[in-house]
Amino acid sequence: MSEPAHRRLGRLTLDIRQQLSPWKQSGFLAGSLAIGLAISVGVLAVAGIAPRTLIDELAGTFNADSLRAVLVQAAPLILVGLGASLAFRIGFWNLGLEGQMIFGGMAATGVSIYAIGPEPMRIVIMGLAAAAGGLSWVLLAAWLKMRFRVNEIIATLLLNYVAMYFLFHMLYGAWQDAKTAFPQSTPLRSFERLPDVGYGINSGLVLAILVVGFAGWLVHLSRAGFYMRVISANLTMSKVVGVPIHVITVGVVAASGAAAGLAGLVNVAGQEGRLTQSFFNGYVFSGVLIAFLSRNDPVIVAIVGLLVAVLYVTGQTLQVFYQIPFAMVQLIQAIIVIAVASSEFLIRHRIRWTR
Amino acid sequence: MSVALELIGIRKSFDGAIALDGAAFAVRPGQVHALLGENGAGKSSLMNVAAGLYAPDDGTIIISGKPVALSGPADARRRGIGMVHQHFKLVKPFTVTENILLANRRPHYRSGIQEIRAAIRRQAHELGFDIDPERRVESLTLAEQQQVEIVKVLVGGVSILILDEPTAVLTDFESERLLETICRLARTGTAVVLVTHKLQEVKRYADAVTIMRGGKTVATLDPTTSTAAELTELTVGQTARLPTRGETGYGETRLNVGALSCSRHDGRVVLSDMSFCVRGGEIYGIAGVSGNGQAELAEALIGARKPLSGEIWIDGAGDVGKAPDATKRTALLAAIPADRYAYALAGGLSVAENFAVVNIHSGRYGPAALVDRKAMRRDAKEAVAAYDIQGVRSVNQKAALLSGGNAQKLVIAREFSRQPAVVVAHSPSRGLDARACAAVHERLIAARDRGAGVLLISEDLDEILTLSDRIGVITRGRIVAEFARPADRQSIGRAMVDHT
Repeated sequence: MSEPAHRRLGRLTLDIRQQLSPWKQSGFLAGSLAIGLAISVGVLAVAGIAPRTLIDELAGTFNADSLRAVLVQAAPLILVGLGASLAFRIGFWNLGLEGQMIFGGMAATGVSIYAIGPEPMRIVIMGLAAAAGGLSWVLLAAWLKMRFRVNEIIATLLLNYVAMYFLFHMLYGAWQDAKTAFPQSTPLRSFERLPDVGYGINSGLVLAILVVGFAGWLVHLSRAGFYMRVISANLTMSKVVGVPIHVITVGVVAASGAAAGLAGLVNVAGQEGRLTQSFFNGYVFSGVLIAFLSRNDPVIVAIVGLLVAVLYVTGQTLQVFYQIPFAMVQLIQAIIVIAVASSEFLIRHRIRWTR
Repeated sequence: MSVALELIGIRKSFDGAIALDGAAFAVRPGQVHALLGENGAGKSSLMNVAAGLYAPDDGTIIISGKPVALSGPADARRRGIGMVHQHFKLVKPFTVTENILLANRRPHYRSGIQEIRAAIRRQAHELGFDIDPERRVESLTLAEQQQVEIVKVLVGGVSILILDEPTAVLTDFESERLLETICRLARTGTAVVLVTHKLQEVKRYADAVTIMRGGKTVATLDPTTSTAAELTELTVGQTARLPTRGETGYGETRLNVGALSCSRHDGRVVLSDMSFCVRGGEIYGIAGVSGNGQAELAEALIGARKPLSGEIWIDGAGDVGKAPDATKRTALLAAIPADRYAYALAGGLSVAENFAVVNIHSGRYGPAALVDRKAMRRDAKEAVAAYDIQGVRSVNQKAALLSGGNAQKLVIAREFSRQPAVVVAHSPSRGLDARACAAVHERLIAARDRGAGVLLISEDLDEILTLSDRIGVITRGRIVAEFARPADRQSIGRAMVDHT
């Protein structure tokens, strides 16, 4: 007895597609994206921003200053996107990207505060410290999962709050800027900041691209990437055929945390120039969004990260000049995610009218 | 007395494999009629025909004296035939009432629920079952779930109740209680068919027994007047002539299983203190009625299940029972599990990837930094040709698209792509046609002749007898008897079914 391949919904018939050519798939994806954007434009129109102004603002993104802002914003987004996509690839739902960013940022700041290492090497040591910070924070959740079977969705998500309050504890205490008495660390010295590499490109973006290259190699070319595919395709089989599941899982989860830690470094030592109370805000959502839209492919993460950065920067402009709330920017992101998610349904199924 | 259900000359084949070959069966109202036979004898297939699940290729179904053509299970239910399957068909998150309502539709949900609830209470009371209609099915034990299944069928108002291996999942005490209830039910006029392979149940509870072998019904007798030996002989058939083959010298121990205990995920201990060893150059067959721990033994050996205690020692790898990662085990042990899609293949990955996965660790497909996909595809192509795997248009196609037999060939091609010291094969020829089956057997013999230790776990006694150099009989998670070649089929059969 075989299950019927379709289910009748009145006169609407749903078929399961066996295969669909990649470019028809991208057609559906593009169509859904267009619908999502159209709805967003509609929402903004209701909020009082005419589509005409919107186009002007978007076009405005491509002037030198805005482009620079987009590129600066893209670096941490790409890094958290990579962090999310790596973990998702092996079925570890790392929703603790913000906590890992916080520990990355704090580890880097600690290196600056305690002046560890020679000055020319300082930023490199800060980078290593940031990666280690993010990595250890995610491994805490991984350990809880493996040792006590704590669901990592819960553990990573809640550890974000632990990290946040620990950050506040430091910023209102030992690491508070003595001069201004604001809950911020003292500004980093110039050699402790991510330098520009020319053409208006910050080295944060270069770092992000390097990590994209590493993740792309890991996922697509290396043996570990092959094992990752096997683990996510069939875990029981992986045990039988001798895939080193523990090593791969721990390694990939650690890489995920390290990427998020580096995103923390980029925001602290790049954009902000000091440890602040909010340098991590909203990045869990963006990371998950980017990973989802790119189907966990590191190379596509870079492209999607850039597009989300455009959205961010445009959103900021709209916030400043048209007084729309930040929630509106998040709403637009959400609409686009839902649109893309529904394209998945159309890719898997065919809807037909039957008589 | 009239006949409630009669089946005459039923034939049924699946893809050319004959499952039923002119089987005949008749049950009277008020009787418990056992259907006895080995696995694969066709018991379940015959009853699936009676329950309208399979359409027979040929033959007649007579219900209460009238020949009928069943259009499906719902039709059979309308005519008073209800079947409780070996694998329960219940929706786990639903309550008992909801499950029973699902199978016995009522026009209105609210009043239907009330009606069904009352019917469950009545039925359960009559049978002496203690079922709370509001409990969720997932919170019930297997024995309780079975009670729900029986009530579900009876609420529909059946006059012919078919139970497929009802005691397979029950403890002795639970089995006894269930069978006594079934007997009581028969006394009220219901015709009960009890599909089983347990002699004792037949002797104690059945009013009549029909024995099946190889898709045919070989005899119908009165179990109270026939001896256990007679029944065994009819069930397992005459001793087949064993093919002769040259003696091989046995080597050193390759696999030693010592005091191995294992539990299922529901906590029941299914292997207890199991011990045996397999030497190089021999095929050690494990015979037994299915459900006695074979699946768990195979899972523990191939690394899919963590044993509770005990040793799995492999020559060259040591005790692998406790090792967290199976890398070392896999290098030396070829695993041919019964359920390919669960344990041996990833349906979402390509044929080439599925083929290459066991050898990638050795560096055959490039260094750790760079996987050589070309080499993978090349090797996979060669294996597809060498093992005659059908239905592969490209080695890039997903393994899920392969049919059962061809999927098995892919697994075997992969596992023999290296030189394993130990081979663990669980029902390796299940779902294969005669030619493919012979090819698998040749591979096992070749591995033995090369000096590997081969463990063959199979519910097919013929397969065990043809291939094995030594045979262990598994009953309730232990090896209860060992036989050297040439083994006596009758004594093995007795050891398999005598649970004392």
